[in-house]
Amino acid sequence: MTRQVPLVLCFLFGIVMILTEFVPHSRSQGLYQGIVNWSLIISPFALVLAVATLIQTHWTRISRHTEHWQYSYVVFIGIIIMVLIGVPTFLNNVSFLSKIGLSFGPKSPIFEWLFNNVQVPMDATMFSLLAFFIASAAYRAFRARTFEATLLLITALIVMMGNVPIGDLIWNTVMAWTPWDDVTSTARQWILDNPNLSARRGIILGVSLGVISQSIRIILGIERSYLGGD
Amino acid sequence: MKGQKILCPSPVVQGLVILVFVLGFGLNTFAQGVTPPMNVDAKDTPNDAGKSITITWEKAVDGISVANRVRGYQILRRIETGEFEEVGPLLPPETTEYKDSTIEEGTPYAYIVRAVTEDGTTFDSGETDFVKGTGEWFHTKKIPLFLAMLLFSIAIVWNIYHAQSGKEIFVRRIPGLEAVDEAIGRATEMGRSILYVLGLGGVSDVATIASMTILGQVARRTADYETPLRVPCNDPVVLNVVREIVRSSYLNEGRPDAYNEENIFFLTESQFAYAAGVDGIMVREKPAAVFLQGTFYAESLILAETGNSIGAIQIAGTASEHQLPFFIAACDYTLIGEELYAASAYLSKEPMLLGSLRGQDWGKLFIFAAIVLGVILELLGVNWITTFLQRVS
Repeated sequence: MTRQVPLVLCFLFGIVMILTEFVPHSRSQGLYQGIVNWSLIISPFALVLAVATLIQTHWTRISRHTEHWQYSYVVFIGIIIMVLIGVPTFLNNVSFLSKIGLSFGPKSPIFEWLFNNVQVPMDATMFSLLAFFIASAAYRAFRARTFEATLLLITALIVMMGNVPIGDLIWNTVMAWTPWDDVTSTARQWILDNPNLSARRGIILGVSLGVISQSIRIILGIERSYLGGD
Repeated sequence: MKGQKILCPSPVVQGLVILVFVLGFGLNTFAQGVTPPMNVDAKDTPNDAGKSITITWEKAVDGISVANRVRGYQILRRIETGEFEEVGPLLPPETTEYKDSTIEEGTPYAYIVRAVTEDGTTFDSGETDFVKGTGEWFHTKKIPLFLAMLLFSIAIVWNIYHAQSGKEIFVRRIPGLEAVDEAIGRATEMGRSILYVLGLGGVSDVATIASMTILGQVARRTADYETPLRVPCNDPVVLNVVREIVRSSYLNEGRPDAYNEENIFFLTESQFAYAAGVDGIMVREKPAAVFLQGTFYAESLILAETGNSIGAIQIAGTASEHQLPFFIAACDYTLIGEELYAASAYLSKEPMLLGSLRGQDWGKLFIFAAIVLGVILELLGVNWITTFLQRVS
């Protein structure tokens, strides 16, 4: 019974959601929006549980003194500061706090300052690492050991030269005597528009069919691994 | 008699009078020169929820002088008991159609289209009949899509049904999935953990659901081998579903005691903070095997390269075609696109699931045939397939 009820619900909601795609009537769209709203309502409850697991994980790290356990204090300090400043909007009515320039809530200047000057730079730092990781991954991928890797290397060089300003500079100054105009840029565009786009579309077609097939398996209750096996 | 002469002027005088009238009227028309929008029509917009009416018209004719050129059109509407009021902004002079999406369903409206000249003079069209917006019960432009979905679904269901007959179904070897046992075995032998990353997708993301099904199979094996399985989650709902999946897998293998809920935990919803957290786990705990399965964005290479740097065997899989090159460059095995969705069937070897893969292949065959036929017909100058597909999309 505990397995059958979710399967029946999954079947019913799956069929209804498919039909709403083809029925533009306001009742159908209202039903669709209602179901989406239900799923949104679930999120806050799940978030409470998720934050509880986060606290539990870091509390365990501190209590067991696992490697780098001291950093777990940073998590707690971060959570406490952001909650204290971002949540209690009712404190904005306390005249004493207002007089000394303290404001609370997600639009509080302190909250915004912390977001813009702590979280955003840290995100940018992580994103910047990508440049170095791309270099190391490219070095491994483009080593010309096999025919395929050599082909990849040549293609990547053409696309790269067509993308960077120095490619245009080389072609239009050093190689200006050649009879072809802007050949790297043209070759890059041809590679992106033909072999690259064809391969991407092939993958997209396969993925789309895979998604439909997976959805049918789930709706019909054949695919039950997401319920934990069987 | 004198009076009669005045009342009946000579034909010359009559002609002069008529000429003056004609010229006076003509010059006045020549000065204005603008005709209002013609053939104004208002219709309920087809294939919508009944929340809009579409108004079409023929453009007004400009005057000669700059001041008499049409600057734009203003739509006005009224309900049966009301006055005309303006709807929407002043539309550019080349516009001949407007969709009024601010109506109430079921209420009749009448429209006029007002041409506004550069000097602010207005020329109103005639009033349309009263029209009301009604919702349709089927989107007629989506009939081909509906039929394609129906046909493809029938093909899959038919193959699933026939798979139950017991006839063996051939599935090509997928190295990434063959390596799952190898990766788990390696982690077990080394006495290290397995890290399973589901990416940034929510629970409604099909790639995440596919990833969960693989996780269920991986958890069954880790339950057998008693290998620690660590799953850092990015989405709170996914966290709860994943806990249930892994717990059930351990239960099904008869090892509920080996299940440790603390190993499936929430990190953060922020993309790069999540990448930093997972990287930290990799560097500190040095898992022997890393699974990167699901939906990934810019963090894909950050995760894969860190996994590579610690020497873990990495099996990646995603449907995001932009991230596939990064995984192929940095991971040992990569499930490309549809292979991610085939994983559950491949790992479980259940006939019904394998049957659905054959149905999927029929769909691919059909699309392939349509592409080949389309190319041949295009070369012969026949373009009805191309036209049909462009119209459908």
